[in-house]
Amino acid sequence: MGIKIDPLKCTSCMACELACGYHRDDALATLSACIMAYRARELKNYFGVVLKAEEDLVIARPEGLEVKRIGAVEEAPAAQADASAKPMLLREPCDLCADQEAGPLCVRACPVDAIYLD
Amino acid sequence: MPYLASDKIAVIDLASGAIAEESLTDELLAAHVGGAGINRVLYERHADGDPLVFGCGLFTGTLVPGAACATVTGKSPLTGGLVHVPLALYAGMELKYSGFDYLVLKNKAAAPVYLWLHDGIADLNEAANIWQADVWSATRQVRAAMGDELIQTLVAGPAAVGGSALGQLMINFWASGDRFGLGRALAIKNVKLLAIRGMGLLEINDPEGFVNACLELTAQVKAGPWGGKKGLGELGAGLGQPGLADWIAPIAHRHRAGFNTPMAYNTFAMLEGDPKALKESAEETPGVLLSDPLAAVDLMKLGLGAVDACGLIRDCARLGLDVAGLIAASGAKDLAGLKAAMATASGPVPGLSGPFGAYAPAQSLGADLGQGGWGRRMALASVFGLDPIFALMTPDLSLEKLIELADLGAGLSLEAAELEALLDRLAS
Repeated sequence: MGIKIDPLKCTSCMACELACGYHRDDALATLSACIMAYRARELKNYFGVVLKAEEDLVIARPEGLEVKRIGAVEEAPAAQADASAKPMLLREPCDLCADQEAGPLCVRACPVDAIYLD
Repeated sequence: MPYLASDKIAVIDLASGAIAEESLTDELLAAHVGGAGINRVLYERHADGDPLVFGCGLFTGTLVPGAACATVTGKSPLTGGLVHVPLALYAGMELKYSGFDYLVLKNKAAAPVYLWLHDGIADLNEAANIWQADVWSATRQVRAAMGDELIQTLVAGPAAVGGSALGQLMINFWASGDRFGLGRALAIKNVKLLAIRGMGLLEINDPEGFVNACLELTAQVKAGPWGGKKGLGELGAGLGQPGLADWIAPIAHRHRAGFNTPMAYNTFAMLEGDPKALKESAEETPGVLLSDPLAAVDLMKLGLGAVDACGLIRDCARLGLDVAGLIAASGAKDLAGLKAAMATASGPVPGLSGPFGAYAPAQSLGADLGQGGWGRRMALASVFGLDPIFALMTPDLSLEKLIELADLGAGLSLEAAELEALLDRLAS
């Protein structure tokens, strides 16, 4: 079982990122989140979601998912957009919010069901 | 230190360049909560410097659904009155995490400057090289100079710099909820833009209780009438403009939400290239984000086709010109007339009044707001940092629920009667 992303449902609202950041920091912040909305190509309206899973980096682009094995690749281009933030590959991987009985916070926070467990 | 806040107010004297910092006191929060409530106190405190005050709502940048907005408060060049303008998309969130909850810009800089806010630091920088730049160019230049594409900008465009009172305060590349010419008010102070980046952290009074209450509210909103609805077309159907969906459909690309806003009413109009294409466009500037729904409605009502209307909206976005204001002030009835008016239109805007402008629809679809209810709902959205369109359409965001969240999140014990009185004062 793991987090799945439907990038075409995503509206780039960042709720997943903030919820994940809370799971990591017990406060509201986004720098530790292992899921993030990439939103830097604003003029082209090109956006999606990047997830650091246990072994893979999942890049949910609108045209489809790309899964890269961590260690086999450099930082994914989509995850580099946020130049001043902590690089995605240096963050803790997703643990499915193991301490949350109701399930992963990103799934619960997503207002459009773009993120789900499967 | 207060919860859900950075605890800093920056007071920037543009004339001297001095930047002072004040604390966000518990007394200020308890009496005025946030957004327009505290903005107005700061405005009055610094009134001799004709200030523009930028402030976050209590919940801006949090997991409360719709908590996207900051508010800018100042004297409108169009009405001369004190006004409150919502700043949606990501600007409010970025300000909240920048290390400042409130900014007071007072007096006037001797030469063009821009303000750079990040990591609890406020810097004034020279802006001579971007002073005449259009909104898009100015944003791109500042982002390139800082090496960060996620910097959010609040910009005075060429319309504002050139003297038009219709100069809107723009967010990055797109229209904001400014109907009052606060872009012009910023330009009068010789400030081209605010560049904001937020990577801070907000403590919560009762973390588990607050987050669970927020997520329960999100689930409630999802199950409500707006659950799963996206885009200008869906919003139009709710606004009694069912033709809007068919009008925009041929050029509608993907729909974007503001920060943590369940209703993604911002549709991107693809003007060059296939709107159904999912891959990144090869064009640098293929379209425009329709972040001001009522402006699009106004143009549709004039009989303009969607391509012409969105092309005009894009042109106005580069100039930083309020489209709805252009239509109302010019009286033009067709595309040629509107284009001709763009260079010179400067107001006045007939019927424009009150502290809150017509960015959100005039009526809620979720509940009967009663006499004066629209203004109180706008005040409530500002005080708590909620997207005003979402707040208007979502009765689940009740006063009682927001009071409960204020306690859980910020440890604020708000009384309903006092809060109602505050909203009445702000709306009048």
